[in-house]
Amino acid sequence: MSFVSYAMILAGGLGSRLCILSEKRAKPAVPFGGKYRIIDFTLSNCVNSGIFDVGILTQYRPLSLRDHIGIGRPWDLDRKRGGVELLQPFRGWAETDWYRGTADAIYQNWIRVEEREAEHILVLSGDHVYRMDYRPMIEAHLARGADATVAIAEVPREEARGFGVVDTDDAGWIRGFLEKPAVPPSGQISMGVYVFRTASLHAVLRADTERETVHDFGKNILPALVRDGRVLGFRHGGYWQDIGTLDSYYRANLQLLSPDPPFPLEDPRWPIFTPSTEFPPARLGARAQVRASIVTHGTIVNGTVERSVLFPGAVVEEGALVRDSIVMGESWVGQQAELTQVILDKRVHVGPRARIGFGEDLTPNRSCPEHLSSGITIVGKETRIPEGVTIGRNCRISANLIEEDFTRRTIASGEVMERELNVAH
Amino acid sequence: MTAIPAVLVLVLAGGKSDALHALGRIRTASALPYGGKYRVIDFTLSNCVHSGLARIGILTQYAPLSLQGHIGIGRAWDLDRRDGGVRLLQPYVRQRETNWYRGTADAIVQNRNVIEDAQARHILVLSGDLVYKMDYAELVRFHEERDAALTLVTVHAPTEEPERYGYVHADRGGRVSALEEKPKRAGGRVVSAAIYLFRARELMARLDRDAEGPDLVHHVIQPMIASGARVFAYPHRGYWRDIGTVDSYYESNMDLVRPVPPLNLYDPDWLIYTPSEDRSPAVVGRGAAVTQSLISHGSRVEGEVSRSVLFPGVHVGDGARVEDSIVMHDARIAPGARLKRTIVDKRVVIGSGASLGFGDGTPNREFPGDLGTGLCVVGKGSHIPEGVYIGTNTLIEIGVCADDFTTREVPSGSVIRPGGQGRAQLALRALPGGAP
Repeated sequence: MSFVSYAMILAGGLGSRLCILSEKRAKPAVPFGGKYRIIDFTLSNCVNSGIFDVGILTQYRPLSLRDHIGIGRPWDLDRKRGGVELLQPFRGWAETDWYRGTADAIYQNWIRVEEREAEHILVLSGDHVYRMDYRPMIEAHLARGADATVAIAEVPREEARGFGVVDTDDAGWIRGFLEKPAVPPSGQISMGVYVFRTASLHAVLRADTERETVHDFGKNILPALVRDGRVLGFRHGGYWQDIGTLDSYYRANLQLLSPDPPFPLEDPRWPIFTPSTEFPPARLGARAQVRASIVTHGTIVNGTVERSVLFPGAVVEEGALVRDSIVMGESWVGQQAELTQVILDKRVHVGPRARIGFGEDLTPNRSCPEHLSSGITIVGKETRIPEGVTIGRNCRISANLIEEDFTRRTIASGEVMERELNVAH
Repeated sequence: MTAIPAVLVLVLAGGKSDALHALGRIRTASALPYGGKYRVIDFTLSNCVHSGLARIGILTQYAPLSLQGHIGIGRAWDLDRRDGGVRLLQPYVRQRETNWYRGTADAIVQNRNVIEDAQARHILVLSGDLVYKMDYAELVRFHEERDAALTLVTVHAPTEEPERYGYVHADRGGRVSALEEKPKRAGGRVVSAAIYLFRARELMARLDRDAEGPDLVHHVIQPMIASGARVFAYPHRGYWRDIGTVDSYYESNMDLVRPVPPLNLYDPDWLIYTPSEDRSPAVVGRGAAVTQSLISHGSRVEGEVSRSVLFPGVHVGDGARVEDSIVMHDARIAPGARLKRTIVDKRVVIGSGASLGFGDGTPNREFPGDLGTGLCVVGKGSHIPEGVYIGTNTLIEIGVCADDFTTREVPSGSVIRPGGQGRAQLALRALPGGAP
């Protein structure tokens, strides 16, 4: 069997740079673009490319992802043959343990690959936003007789530092692979989308498992394959966005709003599937002013919303102002409240007249200045912000806080609010 | 052991609603798009599952494809079950005698085997073309407490059109003494909601022995009342609308965009289920102004929308204005077009600068009774050319194209039909796939 019909999706990572968005869920399960989760893009790419046999490797906080995937119905992945399966670490066999890295996760589940007697498999990441037909890449992989084929995206060279940078020769073969180099030689980066010849991958994985490495595809497996085998580069011309940081998350969400979005979410030939919410259509009231924004079923707007994304069930009350913000499912923004550059996680309650993301003071966040410095303030899941409180920029307000946790009326830019700290007062 | 369900539900969804004109010709009224993302029958089916009733037969006959595509195997309502679930019951050919359903009672008689197999104690007969939320479990309790042969649900008539309702006369205890169908003059305010709960044995005996004709009300229910059977009235106090006419369909949709809608679709304990469409979120553009409206996934609004219901995939161009209107799936309203009190069916294209629904109140010259309140109806897949001016009470039939307009100004009360039968069919066939 030479065609490729099985895909493994890496979805177990911690995603610590996404701050409190990934505090309670794996990164692929982070809500995105109004009604999706990040993993919907990869899963929809699979089924739209005709791949209906998918294993998802999970480790970190898999519950949210598991609820989202269910039995795979939205993607037509509830199947007798194939379908979708979540592969969580388990005990019982001598060699099984927590996954030590992405490569180890695949190796520990190698029996799934063996059962399929597949000559080639796809290995994908669950935390990228992109639209890609995997079939041309698979064709190139088979036609050129590669041991591995790596999808390549082109980014500005200075941004390539955070990725695996590849060096290809004129025939398209990859000659060098540098994971997160300090000085990138080019802007050609690996998208974390691979086709592997099963036998070649297995040999490298088996060798790697004996060594003292971090057992990572980018750091260990690909360099080894480039050294010992034939690794092809496959250029992906379209949009591709790694949702690695809060800034890239925020930017990618708002890019969808642009009059000329990077790719249409509404394309009957390439639908992005996700479980539906049973909410009625969005309801815009008599005083609503909504401009340049995304609204979804179940949202109710009576205030002003500009350049923002409202997830299902989000409510913006009369006189409230929401600008350049992302308001996740079932969050409530009270009367006369003001949000500027704010990310509200699910079911956050913003009391009337509260102001979040207020002022021009851009003091970076004091606990994670490298990830919260561009002015975005983030509020964790189910937190209740009291009436009339003012919160500055670059703030991190933890999940599950209640009104009583806010002992001060003003929280300056760059501050962090956590329950433990308040209890200590 | 298979549990024997106490109640079998039969939903009547086979009728043709002539009064809906272009909206009702390609689909039965139960399959009419409603409220931005629903079909009318979603209310009945959601009521059933919320009430714990999951053995449902839908009696279809007229133009059932749209309904069939919508219901599928009943997944959206969790009605894809091993026991029970939902089944579409279309007339079929038999060895001895074969007939189309000749009426509501006949439709039930022809499905005798379904009823017998269900071994239900009660049969709940519903209409698929009603908009309401109701807990049938309460009705069943009421019915059993009174040991009724038939319990019929009553509501307060929502409009002053006596010929559309059946008036129920009952004593203080709820015992029904008469059901007066569609009289010339209103017989009070209490009318039948077309929701009937029968004791199964009673209904089958009546259908077998005594039914003198094919209609459930005339030939079964009225004779039951006349013969002194235990028939009770159960009042439903909430919202209830029959959407069998253009006016009532329009008004019921408009109820949803009122500042405080009389029908709450947001109640988490009684959500209305419908199959999801895999569309992207709605995009409201930079220059858009949307107020007092419902908008659905896949919509893109650049212009102004007020007091309107937009279904999935509707595009409203720059500078276009949509007021007091209903715009169904994938319709395109080009820049600068204006719609007022207009019902636009699926995949209609309104050319730039065209205006619909403006003019004097001349009733429709062919259907003054059905199109006399100022509404404009545009049938599925029609194309309205650029800059055309269309008056009120106008009916644009299904599949009309630019060549069918002989004038730039269509006076109020007009009817525009596709030129020649052949062209009409071509226009319909040219539509992209999907359920009507």
